[in-house]
Amino acid sequence: MPAVQETIEQVRKIDVDQYKYGFETLIESDKAPKGLNEDIIRLISAKKGEPEWMLEWRLNAYRRWLTMDEPTWARVSYPKIDFQDIHYYAAPKSQSGPKSLDEVDPELLRTYEKLGIPLKEQEILAGVRTAGEPSTVDGAGEGDNIYQSGRVAVDAVFDSVSVVTTFKKELAKAGVIFCSISEAIREHPELVRKYLGSVVPPTDNFYATLNSAVFTDGSFVFVPRGVRCPMELSTYFRINEKNTGQFERTLIIAEEGAYVSYLEGCTAPQRDENQLHAAVVELIALDDAEIKYSTVQNWYPGDTEGRGGIYNFVTKRGDCRGRNSKISWTQVETGSAITWKYPSCLLRGDNSRGEFYSIAVSNGHQQIDSGTKMIHLGKNTSSRIISKGISAGKSNNTYRGQVSAHRKATNARNFTQCDSLLIGNECGAHTVPYIEAKNATAKFEHEATTSKISEDQLFYVMQRGIPEEEAIALIVNGFVKDVIQELPMEFAVEAQKLIGISLEGSVG
Amino acid sequence: MNIQTQIRRTAAEEALLEACAVRADGLPGDARVREKRARAVELLKRGLPNRKVEIWHYTDLRRLLSAVPAFDPTAHATPREPLLAGAAVLPVLNGVAGKAPVPAGVTATSLAERLADGSEAALLEPADAHDTVAAVNAALAGDGLALDIAAGAVVEQPIELQNVHAGGQAHTRFAVRAGAGARATIVERQTGEGQALVSSVSHLEVGEGADVAWLIVQEQPAETTHLGQINVRIGKDAKLTLFVMNTGGKLVRQELRLVAEGEGSKFRLRGVNLLSGETHCDVTMVLDHAAPATVSTEIIRNVVTGRAEGAFQGQIRVARDAQKTDAKMACNTLLLSDEGSFSAKPELEIFADDVACGHGATVTEIEGDHLFYLMARGIPEKTARGLLVKAFVAEVIEELEHEPAIEALEARLDAWFAEHG
Repeated sequence: MPAVQETIEQVRKIDVDQYKYGFETLIESDKAPKGLNEDIIRLISAKKGEPEWMLEWRLNAYRRWLTMDEPTWARVSYPKIDFQDIHYYAAPKSQSGPKSLDEVDPELLRTYEKLGIPLKEQEILAGVRTAGEPSTVDGAGEGDNIYQSGRVAVDAVFDSVSVVTTFKKELAKAGVIFCSISEAIREHPELVRKYLGSVVPPTDNFYATLNSAVFTDGSFVFVPRGVRCPMELSTYFRINEKNTGQFERTLIIAEEGAYVSYLEGCTAPQRDENQLHAAVVELIALDDAEIKYSTVQNWYPGDTEGRGGIYNFVTKRGDCRGRNSKISWTQVETGSAITWKYPSCLLRGDNSRGEFYSIAVSNGHQQIDSGTKMIHLGKNTSSRIISKGISAGKSNNTYRGQVSAHRKATNARNFTQCDSLLIGNECGAHTVPYIEAKNATAKFEHEATTSKISEDQLFYVMQRGIPEEEAIALIVNGFVKDVIQELPMEFAVEAQKLIGISLEGSVG
Repeated sequence: MNIQTQIRRTAAEEALLEACAVRADGLPGDARVREKRARAVELLKRGLPNRKVEIWHYTDLRRLLSAVPAFDPTAHATPREPLLAGAAVLPVLNGVAGKAPVPAGVTATSLAERLADGSEAALLEPADAHDTVAAVNAALAGDGLALDIAAGAVVEQPIELQNVHAGGQAHTRFAVRAGAGARATIVERQTGEGQALVSSVSHLEVGEGADVAWLIVQEQPAETTHLGQINVRIGKDAKLTLFVMNTGGKLVRQELRLVAEGEGSKFRLRGVNLLSGETHCDVTMVLDHAAPATVSTEIIRNVVTGRAEGAFQGQIRVARDAQKTDAKMACNTLLLSDEGSFSAKPELEIFADDVACGHGATVTEIEGDHLFYLMARGIPEKTARGLLVKAFVAEVIEELEHEPAIEALEARLDAWFAEHG
């Protein structure tokens, strides 16, 4: 079945030429010279005031990176990246690191305001600012107003630096550390040193290694034993400067019995050049801990001719290190010219659980090769993958996922469901699952079909007088709820609009 | 990357190239054929594929092909009883085609003749740089059979292409063309004795409106490496049922490359892989839906015991104008041993927007409820397990619309379970 009209219109509303965050902030910035060499790395490290061990770590990664080849296995194509033609560090001149809110350049504050990111915690606390109506995806509202309706602590990363982190004091009262990674390296070196690179080693892959050498900023979260983080945490990444790459590094640790929900958002100006965003995110959940990580990825996707846009080459991995730990990844992907990312879970602890919920919409000339890995290592581990891909325009959308059970992963369980939908006959939808079992008690089920809307369900709804199209929408919405429910509440409404897209006519 | 390791050849790679050099002069072929062979050898000189080559992801041939035995000129293979009683057996013994009567409507020619005059030179072209099975075969095969089934011929008597080896190396090629409206049942039997490297590449053209059933039965001894490939083109409104059963071999790669190129063509794949001992068995299918309104269903059932490793890669590609394609693929595995493993990669690559495509893959052990149901009725656990595993596989066999084939394959199934179950 081809896509229904309603779906086509919904997707059109988020087409690449409708990008709303393409403005540029005119601000003087302090940039490292173009190119990559050991001196640049020393410069980044010095700018961040890092200890010697961190610099060594970076340099080792850089030396390793020089020996590595760029991966070519993904179904994406792009001209060769000239890694010497990028600025690896750019920061607003007025800002060399996070400051208190009063000291932040007003121009920066205006930028975040325009994006709909509240950095003025007092206002929200005092109720001066009324909680905004969640904007619709296509709405005229300014930015993702999801942040406006509730109390969310925000770390705002602008090019290579974190400009401000809100609610730090309040979080500190609960024992939660939430700050930029640069600050964490200075203030909490013992924690950073213990965990950094323990999930994604510096040698992991080409882009992760590059990131290990040149990462500039990102967030650090530490939730101590037994603490339930009192509010949503969030990082907002903004690329602004020309010819720069953004190398985000995020590290989240939930100690025994801790819980944290974290949300990241990303946007960039509209430009004809391609810009690189190569991030590494590491999550660590100890015994009985839970980390919920949500992403709204809305980098500039390029124009209708496929010019410009962000190359989003990201390594995200969660380590369910402790018993009964749980990590869930939820992502709504609408941006980037090219997306190459596979948020994964290492299910190491017995009874640990990994989840991956994804909705990826590609338009224009966008290319997405994304999915997840669920690596079952401990006993009684379980995982669940729900992935929806929608491709329109001339885009290509690939789900690539790996589920594997190792010899000792007794009673490993996985359920995977991935559906895709094509709109128009110039795009492509692809599914590449890898299912690998080395344990006889493993139980893996992978499904990629249209069969979720069964004839029975349809008949049940239609015989109550609901027309077919509506009946399908109803059933699909019920089904997509699986993904939506996993999002923080403020964000769920937003995503619901986005995924008001019917999946009728979906193919595996 | 260390470039050195990529250039250094393994002993098997050396032995393979050595075999090519030794054989080159003795093989039949005109200038065109010789050129194709030379190109195949060039391809092999680049080394065997490893798991970084996506289509070889689960069979690292470079690592797994540990030894290549030399040709054994004294090897004497003998024909076997046909799988289906009364079938016309066309033997190829150690890579050399024998003579045998064929049913009416069918013409059989030795492939050596067609290579000698160059008329089948085009067959020797590998699909791409990673088409190692075709390259090995093109470089080393000197004979096989070409069958032409006349248009409109209804061949009731099954034909068995019997490829038998007795150790050493055996490389064979089959080319079968079923004319428009023809009907035939063909068994491709792969068997032998002793340690060997076998490559067997088949080509099948199913003409417009033709209806062909092709059964690949691979029962090589546990010391044999079997590199199999079938290349199929299915014409307009034609129908092909392809059945594959793997029960033997040390290292087995069975490739199925199909193009549904005629509008309205129908393809059905049923596969049974019974893996035991130290077997490594990889079934890789690439199916192109290249024309509108083509229909395909693929069901693969695997049983893994012992230290066996199994893999299934199934790639369904739907071209931009292949609208109204209906493709469904399922790969189900019973992993019965903690020392065994199974990997599945069912891929969809879709460029048309009005299609119904789906795939499912499961890896499980025997359903506890089912076992309980049988045991509650007084059936001992071992017997109950046996029944369930057999039923899991037999289901696929029973879909064949050919009673003698069902009986013969179920007999093979029983024999396998008696030995390994």
